[in-house]
Amino acid sequence: MLTAVSPQAAAAGLFPGQRVTDAQALRPDLVLAEAEPEADARALEALADWCVRYSPAVAPDPPDGLFLDIGGVAHLWGGEAEMAADLAARLARDGLTARIAAADTAGAAWALARSPAAAAAGPQVLAPWDPDRREASPPPPELAGLPLTALRLEPAAAAQLSRLGLRRIGQLAALPRGPLARRFGGRVLLALDQALGRAPEALAFRRPPTPWFARLDLAEPVSAPDDLARLCRDVALHLCARLETAGRGARRLRLDFHRVDGAPVCLELGLSRPARDPDRIARLFLPRLETLDPGFGIEAVSLQAAEVEVLSPGQADLASLLEPVEGPEALAPLIDRLNARLGPGRVWRSRPRASHVPERSVRRTAALEAPAGPARDGPAASWPAWRPRPLRLLPRPEVLEAVIALTPDEPPRQFRWRRRVHRIRLAEGPERIGAEWWRSGIEAVRTDQVRDYYRVEDQDGARFWVFRSGLHDHDRPVRWWLHGLFG
Amino acid sequence: MDGNRRNRLAALRADIRRLERVAGPARGRLSLGDPRLDSALGGGLALGQWHEIGGEGVEAETCAAPAAFAARLAAALLARPDQRGRSAVWILRRDDLFPPGLAELGLPADRLVGVCARDEAEALAVAEDALASPGVGVVLAEVGAVDLTAGRRLQLACESRGGTGLVILRRPFGGAAAGTSGGTAAATCWRVSPAASAPGPGDFGLGPPRWRLRLVRGRGGRTGAWSVEAGARGDEGEADVAHPLRLVAELGDRDLAAPAALSAAG
Repeated sequence: MLTAVSPQAAAAGLFPGQRVTDAQALRPDLVLAEAEPEADARALEALADWCVRYSPAVAPDPPDGLFLDIGGVAHLWGGEAEMAADLAARLARDGLTARIAAADTAGAAWALARSPAAAAAGPQVLAPWDPDRREASPPPPELAGLPLTALRLEPAAAAQLSRLGLRRIGQLAALPRGPLARRFGGRVLLALDQALGRAPEALAFRRPPTPWFARLDLAEPVSAPDDLARLCRDVALHLCARLETAGRGARRLRLDFHRVDGAPVCLELGLSRPARDPDRIARLFLPRLETLDPGFGIEAVSLQAAEVEVLSPGQADLASLLEPVEGPEALAPLIDRLNARLGPGRVWRSRPRASHVPERSVRRTAALEAPAGPARDGPAASWPAWRPRPLRLLPRPEVLEAVIALTPDEPPRQFRWRRRVHRIRLAEGPERIGAEWWRSGIEAVRTDQVRDYYRVEDQDGARFWVFRSGLHDHDRPVRWWLHGLFG
Repeated sequence: MDGNRRNRLAALRADIRRLERVAGPARGRLSLGDPRLDSALGGGLALGQWHEIGGEGVEAETCAAPAAFAARLAAALLARPDQRGRSAVWILRRDDLFPPGLAELGLPADRLVGVCARDEAEALAVAEDALASPGVGVVLAEVGAVDLTAGRRLQLACESRGGTGLVILRRPFGGAAAGTSGGTAAATCWRVSPAASAPGPGDFGLGPPRWRLRLVRGRGGRTGAWSVEAGARGDEGEADVAHPLRLVAELGDRDLAAPAALSAAG
């Protein structure tokens, strides 16, 4: 099935909805491309975002239309016709063919844009007609002369109307409304009324992606730290008032100071729980204001919130009155202060991970994240108590020198680590830990990745976690490593 | 006149006691698991104060035995009913702590918040902040040294909310020797070194870990040296947190006189 045809193909008699085999029979040199409705929808949304340069209110009309509310903005381009011409020229330069029409109602513009005139003669602008007399007066001739397909009708209703000999909008508008509604249902009348401005129509305008933004402009630049702190609180107050109205809280905040010389100064803040308490947010920014270089002065400050989440209203007030003493909630202010001071990844809580490999058996999560359910971590997401594990695990195993063992598959009797000789008094093991073969292919598993761990105690009582890498092999010297220390 | 003077003296002494907050009854004391140890501390480890725990010899750098000792104390502290829902904060300079090993010593990972500080001053500042925060039962900080000012600040932070601090003296990698801090505001100063374990007859492998404890300074002037063993494990293998330590032997004062010989032997 053809979904769209180029002008050349249309000239050759092809049309959307035609079967591909029929079209190929008609034109054997037909070039076919797979239809990508999702990509088309994405492109339409991108185009809608671009059209914000003309009007703040843009509504995509899938699959191929855009509505721009140009009420009050057309004069910036010198009028509706000039604006439409500018839009057409820019679209044409980007390789897009467009039909543009401006009218009093979205329905009328839709109809005009799809009329043959818009295709032939470029942007159409319908002069406004008297709003007070819309109810009674006949539609303007430009609209009345259009075919019924210019109304946004359902295909079934459109086919039935054309079978009754109704071809033009003017004919439909002249019919008595009562029988029309009974015969075709309310949808036909509604489409007609919306085109003629007799019924209101709501368009779903796209909103800018981040509305959580507050900005303060200053008459005189400031640079004193106290002023910056006050500014920070004032701008937080603005944003938090909006967050409170919407019942939201922010988890990431970005504070931008706009310097006189244009250099950007930006501070970012991550919170463990969504918050909208301006004093708390300002306090968290406070220690980092001292490190900030105001240059010749700050002339504006803006605060932007990301990762905005639902925060039940009233909770902020309650929390400020009654500080929770128990549970992880009580830790939240401390965690936030530490995160703000130390930067990301320096405050954590450890969770078990179902893995035998020591390095992989610990997973770090944010300090206030709730423990994950057992389903995600597998059944054995705890460290078995019967397997001894060291208190300190070296970031990477350190090789042991001068190892003396009675036989290659026995624990060492003596070794040297960090220039110190340890004579082993007691040993326990081995615990054999192999590579996780299911993580890469089975062919990547080698016997020299096997580790035999021993827990050993030297003459002073110091305990070490040492391992021998690889299975015993006569051709290869045995290597011993120290991986951890027991307390 | 005489009675008036006695009354005034008593009032002044009470003031001093209140200022020093030594053995505040509300803070409580943590039993180390043996009456002989507790009596040397005046009834147990004083809570709501901070304690210094250092290593000796090679331990000054790896600091495994002092950390294990501190973890046993922290586990016992968090198991108290008045610490329910509170967490331990462990502040590190070098990020080599392995939570499975801590869980073995009785300190569960879900009640432990790890913090990695970039330098000495930051580690102390974080410790101070954490001690003064609600929801924190015990703060363990691995730092090189605590000078008198920093120690006093830690003490004030402890007093603000009753948190207990355990400062683990750890020499920075390749740095100067730690554990030589002179005056300090710590309630007690400990030196911990590993001792040879004694597996029971017929037991296979290693026995429970043993440490030589030296109490080098304590408020009230008591010192001492002991050989202790980590408390026995229950049938399920979980650590017995109510009795963190088992006293093996009381050591003579000669260890105090010759600590240099000990570290040289290590």
